[in-house]
Amino acid sequence: MFGVHLLFDGVNTMTDLLRLLFNSLETGSVYALAALGIVLIFRTSRTTNFAQGMIGTFNAYIAAFLMLRYGFNIWLVALVALITAFLTGIIIDTFIIRPAAKVSPISKQIITLGIIMVIIGILPWFFGVDSMTLPRFIPTAYSITILGADLRYNTIFVIAVSTILMGAMFWFIQYTKWGLATRVTASDETTSKLMGVPTKTVTMVSWATAAMLGTLAALFVAPRISVFSNMLLTVQISAFFAGTLGGFSTFFGPVVGAFIISFARNFTQFYISDIWGNVLVYTSILVFLYFKPYGIFGKKPTKKV
Amino acid sequence: MSKPLLVLENVSMHFGGLKAVDNLSFTVNEGEIVGLIGPNGAGKTTVFNCITQFYKNYQGNIYFVKEDQSLDLRDIDVTKVIAQGLVRTFQNVELIPDLSILDNLLVGAHNQFKTGIVAHILRTKKAREEEKTLKEKAYGILKFLDIFELKDFYVKGQPYGVMKKIEIARTLMSDPKMIILDEPAAGLNDRETDELEVLINEIKKQYKTTILLIEHDMSFVMNICDRIVAINFGKFLAMDTPKNIQKNAEVQEAYLGRDE
Amino acid sequence: MKILNQVENFFGIISKKIGKHPIVPFILFGLVIASIGFLPHTGLMRWGTMGVFAYIVIFTVVAMGLNLLLGFSGLISLGTAGFVGAGALGLGVFINLGFPFELAALMVLIIAGSMGALIGLFSLKVEGIYLAIATLFVGEILRQIYTQLEIFGGQAIRIGAIRFFGFIELSMINQFQRSILFLLITTMMVMMMIIMHNIVKSKTGRALMAMSRSQHAAQAMGISLLKYRLTAFVLATLFATFGGIMYGLYYQNVPTTAWTLDLSLFVIAMVVVGGMKSIYGTFLGVFIIHGIPNLWLKNYFGDISYIFSGILIILVIIFYPYGFVYIWYDLKRLYIKHKLRWMKKQVIKDE
Repeated sequence: MFGVHLLFDGVNTMTDLLRLLFNSLETGSVYALAALGIVLIFRTSRTTNFAQGMIGTFNAYIAAFLMLRYGFNIWLVALVALITAFLTGIIIDTFIIRPAAKVSPISKQIITLGIIMVIIGILPWFFGVDSMTLPRFIPTAYSITILGADLRYNTIFVIAVSTILMGAMFWFIQYTKWGLATRVTASDETTSKLMGVPTKTVTMVSWATAAMLGTLAALFVAPRISVFSNMLLTVQISAFFAGTLGGFSTFFGPVVGAFIISFARNFTQFYISDIWGNVLVYTSILVFLYFKPYGIFGKKPTKKV
Repeated sequence: MSKPLLVLENVSMHFGGLKAVDNLSFTVNEGEIVGLIGPNGAGKTTVFNCITQFYKNYQGNIYFVKEDQSLDLRDIDVTKVIAQGLVRTFQNVELIPDLSILDNLLVGAHNQFKTGIVAHILRTKKAREEEKTLKEKAYGILKFLDIFELKDFYVKGQPYGVMKKIEIARTLMSDPKMIILDEPAAGLNDRETDELEVLINEIKKQYKTTILLIEHDMSFVMNICDRIVAINFGKFLAMDTPKNIQKNAEVQEAYLGRDE
Repeated sequence: MKILNQVENFFGIISKKIGKHPIVPFILFGLVIASIGFLPHTGLMRWGTMGVFAYIVIFTVVAMGLNLLLGFSGLISLGTAGFVGAGALGLGVFINLGFPFELAALMVLIIAGSMGALIGLFSLKVEGIYLAIATLFVGEILRQIYTQLEIFGGQAIRIGAIRFFGFIELSMINQFQRSILFLLITTMMVMMMIIMHNIVKSKTGRALMAMSRSQHAAQAMGISLLKYRLTAFVLATLFATFGGIMYGLYYQNVPTTAWTLDLSLFVIAMVVVGGMKSIYGTFLGVFIIHGIPNLWLKNYFGDISYIFSGILIILVIIFYPYGFVYIWYDLKRLYIKHKLRWMKKQVIKDE
């Protein structure tokens, strides 16, 4: 089973390799966006947001619905979806997360499960039960061929937007006053509050940003798999894995993790086997975590006796 | 001439560049109450953590005498220390808030339960009898400490003084040869501190234990201790009777002198 | 002679302590639930309702295992569904291979238990969200295996009738036998409740709590983290797998695709909503999360019923952070308050 594909002649191998590379970069970008949203909320609200994917899905539904009903183009509906995502984040933070501020971290996670259920209930009620689709931002027809491998402009677009966005976010977190506020809120909320950092605003904006990141991820994967309630399941699970692999204590670790997982998955699935690829990747990450429990870039939190 | 029970030989402990304990040696004899004093950050709790094996990577040696055999504590796992007859309390009371006071005491007797989980599931006669015996032991200790009536209440919500008592009671469950108390009087009011003084002397008498303690309340330490070890920046300053320690110029300079 | 003595002792104890013995309430509770198994025959209840209750009974066992982790040991697992699947599918596989039911169940428990031990070892290294996601990895690996491996039969495994001790055959299809199966799983639930009760009231339960509430104190008291982390995960896994076996036993047709992260999250929700550290609370949680939507809400609202469940979870957690079962204390307090007020009134009247 192993290495069978490698026996093919050079050109084919090269083409496969490039195709896998482009594919992995695109899915990696999507995972990274989702992972960043999860880390942002984990760091500022001390909770694992299981609803990250569902919030993105909800707003992707809005986009698809507007397109279906009113015939708006993808750019316009995407813009609307991002705005509604921003609002969704703020609403969730204000009405659900903040009232539960004193609840234990595990219970908070279950609250996000409650959010998932509310959204699952809302979807058919608002948008009907028919599945919907969203097109790519740039039609498939536009592409270039490199060594026999198609590189769609849309793929380049997805990678570019994600990279620029993440770059901007890192810059923002590292070099601006609000970024500093985010970082200190992430490291110690109580002290930050005492020092006059507007932690409430930071948390609210984090939820809004995370919702937008999730929505963008949903808009990017929608053309491949259509719009349905579980469309972001794989993305979300991969994002969690990316966070763990890269380390939740940094903002860039999960991004690196996202690309590693995307590459590892695509390559093992192609070169080893479709069935065992995932199992192999997950198992090796588990083994890796045994030796480096807090991810590639993570640090062990210190405790006092 | 009393026998040595705990021996520290040139113990050092570093945290990165910081020397928390620096070449410290002293001996605690059987039946003594010894106080370990020093200004804030002198490394007192670190010494306790080394003795009870929470820190393993110290230099030097720590010996505990058990049945006339000198035992290198480094060879003992942190969870096995209690089985040697050495038990401690913590600076910030470490109890299980959502267990009853009685159950907290039974946690202290963890090692004395010989029956396994299967026996517990089936509630065999042996398991029930064992539980009963240890509960009665706990009742005895609770009565001794005058908190028997509270036994079925949760620890959560008890006044601080009671919590401190529960922690001491828990150490007594293990029939210790030596109890290490980390700031037993901290947070207690004057009346409670006086009570504690009597109590510790009673414990020493009734349970025949040796006691090593850290405390900031100087009058408490001076009243209760047979001998006192003074340290500063992890270094040994003096070990002597309370009277002589008070007169010791080095100690005064490092510690008492600051009080003014 | 000895046996006779024991029997005598046993009845002596019963007559003396029947009101006080801790297992009596569990048995009474079991009898109430068991009666549900016979109501459909009288026409007072639909068969589907009994199916919902069977699910509640099964998942009470699963959630109790998670409660040992979450409530007592302060650890979390996102891989619960994988182990329930292991119990149900594993039972199917072994029975279809020709093993008798009892042996198949035992083997599944051993296999899953050792996987639980592995996770326990892992948990010594990893904490918090990292541990949670490590267990999610395990759950995902199991899920992939179930759906991809041929031995699990693709979409579902059909077990058919189950034969006990080699000769008593019980099938889901026969209505009378289905009631017996319901009775059987209820008995199993009561048994697991008693086991859980005995564990948490023993040295093990105290050690688990000490380990999670104050790790250092636990170590100083001689509690080995290695041993009790392993114990916690092995127990949780065994409860989940046992629940899976009950699932296979009752439904006798086990899907391979049902053991997802969503299900694991639901089990966590059952524990959190019902009541951490509470056995009856666990049952209450399962009833709220699975029972209420499936017994009532879905009939009236269809898929929209999820909204109610979701809001319910959020509200319960905000207002009862330790679990809904603690509403009992509030009710008691309210009752005492009213009683006092009433007594005051009486006093005033008398004067």
